[in-house]
Amino acid sequence: MMWRALSADWLKIRGKGLWFLVFLGPAGLLAMQGLNFGLRYDYLKNIHQADLWGGLLDNLSNFVPVALYLGGTLICSMMANVEHQTSSWKQLLALPVSRAAVFLAKLLLCLLLLAASCLLLSAGTVALGWMLGFQSQPVPYTDILRIGFLGYAAALPVILLQLWLSLAARNQTFPIACGITLSLLSLFSYSLSEWFPLNWPGLAWSSSKPWLFSISGIFLGLLVLLPGAWHFARKDVA
Amino acid sequence: MTETVIRTRDLRKVYRGRAAVEQLNLNIGRGEIYGFLGPNGAGKTTTIRMLLGLIRPTSGRIEVFGRELRSHKLDILRKVGSLVESPSYYGHLSAVENLEAIRRILGVPKQRIAEVLDIVSLTGEEKRPVKGFSLGMKQRLGIAAALLGGPELLILDEPTNGLDPSGIQEIRSLIKRLPAEQGITVLVSSHLLSEVEQMADTVGIIRQGQMVYQDSIAHLQQQAAGDLRLALSEPEAALALAERRGCGGELREGRLILPRMNDARVALFVKELVENGHAVYRVEERRQSLEEFFLQVVEGGAS
Repeated sequence: MMWRALSADWLKIRGKGLWFLVFLGPAGLLAMQGLNFGLRYDYLKNIHQADLWGGLLDNLSNFVPVALYLGGTLICSMMANVEHQTSSWKQLLALPVSRAAVFLAKLLLCLLLLAASCLLLSAGTVALGWMLGFQSQPVPYTDILRIGFLGYAAALPVILLQLWLSLAARNQTFPIACGITLSLLSLFSYSLSEWFPLNWPGLAWSSSKPWLFSISGIFLGLLVLLPGAWHFARKDVA
Repeated sequence: MTETVIRTRDLRKVYRGRAAVEQLNLNIGRGEIYGFLGPNGAGKTTTIRMLLGLIRPTSGRIEVFGRELRSHKLDILRKVGSLVESPSYYGHLSAVENLEAIRRILGVPKQRIAEVLDIVSLTGEEKRPVKGFSLGMKQRLGIAAALLGGPELLILDEPTNGLDPSGIQEIRSLIKRLPAEQGITVLVSSHLLSEVEQMADTVGIIRQGQMVYQDSIAHLQQQAAGDLRLALSEPEAALALAERRGCGGELREGRLILPRMNDARVALFVKELVENGHAVYRVEERRQSLEEFFLQVVEGGAS
């Protein structure tokens, strides 16, 4: 039943700018690094002489968490807005489909879209490296996949919180304000403890045990997911 | 009594301490067009949302197709089509894509889309984005969506709200056709009596969340029956004559008011009056319109 709801959702987001956003996130990050390396090519190449790809990834990794937070916020909100806008919830939820299936379909769609972004980021990184002439060194494919996906897993608590808020509130001002606040906070919360979840996507790249933070992200994400789904299943639909 | 499709028992919904619906007992039989009537804010939409499982009753039971809604929700909803208040649609998608999004959830064959578009006569407009549709077309698309799953019960909340007269006419004839052609039971809500009178077999009138009248339209029309008024030269003498003939009656504003009677008796009585030397100026039948009766019911005068 969830797959049916998902296939309907797949159709509904057509032409709503979600795919554009999926593309825009990685493209923006890569354009920034393209500019960064393009403008001071010799200097950066000199610094990262031993590991050119690693240098590119390190530079890129500074902006991956905030991009994930912002991207997650916007995708959740735009996806929810498809239903909020013309008050389609009452039509959708009066269909023979359980609320849980509807909620999970939205969740899955949002996760798929963000995964597509991460994949695009990885593919784009390889392309950027080639354009910058890093062919002399072997491409570290594992690290290139890691940069998006481990951070992604660690960002799940915030993404799932955003999904809950966006689906619950007809007016998207609060969910978006909340998402942007968290994104901005994540830029300045580095000095706080490793226990602070907003730091996890960053740590999932830079720490010596990156998997720890990704797995913690998944678990905390599930903890946020449960009350969100419970609330969605019980709330009155206006 | 035919099979009951919807039955509610002491249905109640409280919003922030205020009861929107109170002790509501609905009874809707199979194949009926049930007109759910009440002024704005009386609790019609709240009731309909509860019937569709969109909101939870504070207390009371809902049975649809003889089964408890709460525990058999999905099975019941599979046989129900609905249109709640303002039309729901995805403006950026075309009519066909809108229906396709619903069809994927219902899992009905693709050809149903063309069929329902044909029923609501939207064929030819199906490829345009719905945001460019008129309100009437959006409303018809909503009905098409409600029909898509081949429902046995159709729940339409104010389907003619905001439509122009020709749109109202179209929707009305569509609704009237459905039970006859497809054996569908229809629950249609409205705040206009004339609307319901022209479509429904049975009417339920709700006021401040409570059902104040529930019976057939024919019975409603009977209750609203009027009286006969005569203007004559000598009303007192005429009243005496009426009493002798067992017609009853009274005098009001110098006119003789008689209860309703059949044509033959009216003719006979008038003839007798003339023969007795009365000058009869006017004979009029004054019917209390249904509208007046409705207002009486809605404003709290019991029926």
